[in-house]
Amino acid sequence: MTNDIFAPPLKTISHSSMMMAMHFLKGRRPEKLGKVAWVTSGAPVELLRTLDFYTFYPENHGAVCGSSHQSVSISIEAENLGYSRDLCSYARTDIGSILSGKTPLRTIPPPDLLVACTNICQTVLHWYRVLAHRFNVPLVLIDTPFIYDEAADHAVAYVQKQIEEAVKVIETVAGQSLDMKRFREVTSLSRKASQLWMQILDLCQQRPAPISAVDQFIAMAPIVSLRGEAKTVDIYGKMLEEVEERVVQGIGALRNERKRLLWDNLPIWYALRYLADFLGTRGIVLAASTYTSAWGKLANMFNPDNPFESAARTYMHPILNRSTGDKMKTMMKMVNDFHLDGVILHSDRSCKPYSIGQMDQRDRFINEHGIPALLLEADHNDSRSFSEEQTSNRLEAFCEMLGV
Amino acid sequence: MTVEIQAIGIDIGSTSTKLVGTNSAGEMIWQILEKTEPRIEEQVRRLLDQAWEMNDRLKDIPVIATGYGRKLAHQATRAITEITCHARGVYQELKHGGTLVDIGGQDSKVIRISPQGKVFDFVMNDKCAAGTGRFLENTANRLNVSLDDMGAIGMETSVEATISSTCTVFAESEIISLLANGVILPEILRGLHRSLIKRIVAMVHSVGFEAPLMLSGGVVQNPLIASMLGDELDTEVVLPRHPQLMGALGAALMALETS
Amino acid sequence: MFNIPSRTEAIKKYKANGGKVAAVLPIHYSRGLFRAFDILPVEVWGPPRIGTGKSAAHLQQYVCSICHNALSYIQQGGLDIADTILVPHACDSLQGLGSILLDFTPPRQPVFPLYVPRGHRQSGLDFFAAEFHSLYDRLSEMTGRFPRNRNLLASIEREEAADSLLKELHTQMRFLPSSNSAIYKLIRSREYLPAEEFTQLAQDILKMEQGTPRQGTPILLEGIVPEPMEIFDALSNFDAVVVGDDFASCGRRVYPAGTSHDPFKRMAERILHAPPDPTRGNSFEERQAHLMEMAARTGAAGIIFYIVKFCEPELFDLPILQKEMREAGLPTLLIEVDLNSPFSQQAQTRLGAFLEMIQ
Repeated sequence: MTNDIFAPPLKTISHSSMMMAMHFLKGRRPEKLGKVAWVTSGAPVELLRTLDFYTFYPENHGAVCGSSHQSVSISIEAENLGYSRDLCSYARTDIGSILSGKTPLRTIPPPDLLVACTNICQTVLHWYRVLAHRFNVPLVLIDTPFIYDEAADHAVAYVQKQIEEAVKVIETVAGQSLDMKRFREVTSLSRKASQLWMQILDLCQQRPAPISAVDQFIAMAPIVSLRGEAKTVDIYGKMLEEVEERVVQGIGALRNERKRLLWDNLPIWYALRYLADFLGTRGIVLAASTYTSAWGKLANMFNPDNPFESAARTYMHPILNRSTGDKMKTMMKMVNDFHLDGVILHSDRSCKPYSIGQMDQRDRFINEHGIPALLLEADHNDSRSFSEEQTSNRLEAFCEMLGV
Repeated sequence: MTVEIQAIGIDIGSTSTKLVGTNSAGEMIWQILEKTEPRIEEQVRRLLDQAWEMNDRLKDIPVIATGYGRKLAHQATRAITEITCHARGVYQELKHGGTLVDIGGQDSKVIRISPQGKVFDFVMNDKCAAGTGRFLENTANRLNVSLDDMGAIGMETSVEATISSTCTVFAESEIISLLANGVILPEILRGLHRSLIKRIVAMVHSVGFEAPLMLSGGVVQNPLIASMLGDELDTEVVLPRHPQLMGALGAALMALETS
Repeated sequence: MFNIPSRTEAIKKYKANGGKVAAVLPIHYSRGLFRAFDILPVEVWGPPRIGTGKSAAHLQQYVCSICHNALSYIQQGGLDIADTILVPHACDSLQGLGSILLDFTPPRQPVFPLYVPRGHRQSGLDFFAAEFHSLYDRLSEMTGRFPRNRNLLASIEREEAADSLLKELHTQMRFLPSSNSAIYKLIRSREYLPAEEFTQLAQDILKMEQGTPRQGTPILLEGIVPEPMEIFDALSNFDAVVVGDDFASCGRRVYPAGTSHDPFKRMAERILHAPPDPTRGNSFEERQAHLMEMAARTGAAGIIFYIVKFCEPELFDLPILQKEMREAGLPTLLIEVDLNSPFSQQAQTRLGAFLEMIQ
């Protein structure tokens, strides 16, 4: 049945998954790795890349646990030690994994350094302090003031200062000095990869959309976890070609695309297949998502000629560090640019910064713009907060509203 | 016999009310167990009147009340929480410390008892029906199975249906789904018990498990619960002789100490 | 027991004298800055028992009741008397609340956000001073006033005097001939009384200090805010005495005096040097040291974590703090609360069992 509905998977997406697998495999030999840094998804990784750190992203690991249906049993290990179920499910998965040793990756190299940037949420501040306590290694904190309106000069200066001061700490752990020339190159590579990623996503403005957000959720791992590497530029260059080819041939992610939607918030990692099938069998494609475009959007902010100041601006501006009103504007623009018929707002119990504001955003979509919008309650990594029955009911009702 | 009663303990639970009288050595020599009535004060008065009728002298002996309705037992000398009383009662019966699990109708408790019989630590699930006897009771009603038979039926199979709902109410619709898909009753019942046990085990881990595992409360009569708990924690399970009377016994013993 | 003016009385009096009022959400901000503009800052912790009827249309149920109640209260007109609303940044939920107040559900008065830097680095101090400067500009715009540095400093010093007495109330609470409940009503009056009035009140009450401490099991409390306040009477009923706290609304805001002659730096340094607070990014080591020092100084027999449900900054720290406290010989208890629920039967039982265990 699946072959009648979906286009065959992209080759380059398998390659990007392979690239991630190779990266994790490398991590199984800590003795061969050099220095290891655990990093938040929004951290200015270019510094670490320049200093040859092996980077591990606990959020990425969390998603791997979620996708392989192991996150609940791993979280329970943390919960048994007193970590409340009201805490972020990525954090519980990570802490549970560290405390029990359970992981689908067999081994995870312990950190020599922790780098947390609060541009995605304040949760990472608390989570990484737990890690710092556990591993007794330096924690570099990049505190990015929230942008309620516009980024104030003193806020940008603050972030820039923190990044500059971080250099000393990172150099000490790395045992080498930051090579400015190489740092500019790495910043340039980050920019290039992000631009390519953005171009890939933008191709989904075509009808039919050549790939779906579900494909993007899988394909995005390198732009988050391996940004700054030359091979990341390569893989996205090739992916862009493959997707362009699809557009030329009129191949869509769905053979019969009837409606196009925006997905807001993190994916539901353990239910991607379910969602893809449910929507796909009804001819509905998730043509865009605020989550996957978060990294592409800021591509042009990276400036190799002014790496510290541009890093400060870039890392202050992901969608999660900007106001709920700004997010509404961003989503409306995506609805227009991508010719979308509706929006699914995943009300993620584990992600307050992403979820707060969705109720008003939903109202605006429906009442001011006449765009159908569904609030879907779930959790990105904890299936105990997901009810397939309730979700199906709501999705069915929503599909009826879309006229499918 | 009545001459020997030196202390009385009353445990007013949400489901049942228990009265225990002990002699000066702390041995249980008199007991009453009945369903808790809506008018608790009247029930307590009636039960104590029963005691006074046996022997006038009993009006002078100390009475301690425990349990959910303890504050309504005005005739009691003092009110003490069921955590302290259960631990005391179980220690008297079994003579050793360990981890006590009490699954009541409306709440569950896990109490770590020290080798000297003191409460070392405790944790309660008093917010959510899913970790209590109510979880099984609700579904028993829905499935037209008597609460007494649930465990036995669940033991007829070793296959378990997975119930993923964390909420009693939503578990119902999940069960309906399972039945509609042809899953048999024993497997569903096993799955329900597993859900309940998982929550209890999480509570045990939060106080830290210390062998042996002891059980009290009405749900103890369910053989599947004892069996699953023993398996999950890889330990033997010890049951006191009168699991439902442990709170009242503990209260009586504490009353004895005050005299 | 003590004659403490109510919030309403304090507001009425201040307005009658021509002043304005700012409603301030949790947690950290500079009182001195507002008073220099003749604005009385009145804090909004809840209020309790408001219900989420109005806020449920804007905030999901996994957002804490501090945020829910603030929004419900605003929408019910509870803050109509305020000339402005300040929303400091303490966590993701307050961040979101501030944002939706600005973008989606604007109240009738201007809303000002205030970002609080995490950690205590020089860069954070410089940023915070600049952030207060920004707030100064907005208050100037609103009031047409431009208080000079010396006025700002005088205003700050007045707050420092009040905070110094607040500190004394905290360290000496056991020696005051009063109840847990009365003492905390007094401590919490700092949330709305003008500093000079609080200073007078505190001085009068501290004169009553006795040589011997009140009898009872000495207990420490920890959390964001002591709501429901019924816990104080419940503790008294079990013969327990609160001897200190680590509440974000109380003990963590005993701000030390600053040293800078630049008023904005002074405002910033006072907050960054306050007792450790997870919402400001302080480490476990700092928190543990602070709590153990408090326990040793007060002879506390146990500590109760009185946590508002869903509070991530509190819940992340809890397992490690509890473990370390217990290993250091200090028993701990967790009670999770919702500002819209009374102090429940279940909470009474937990409290009773805990005190029975440690007494």
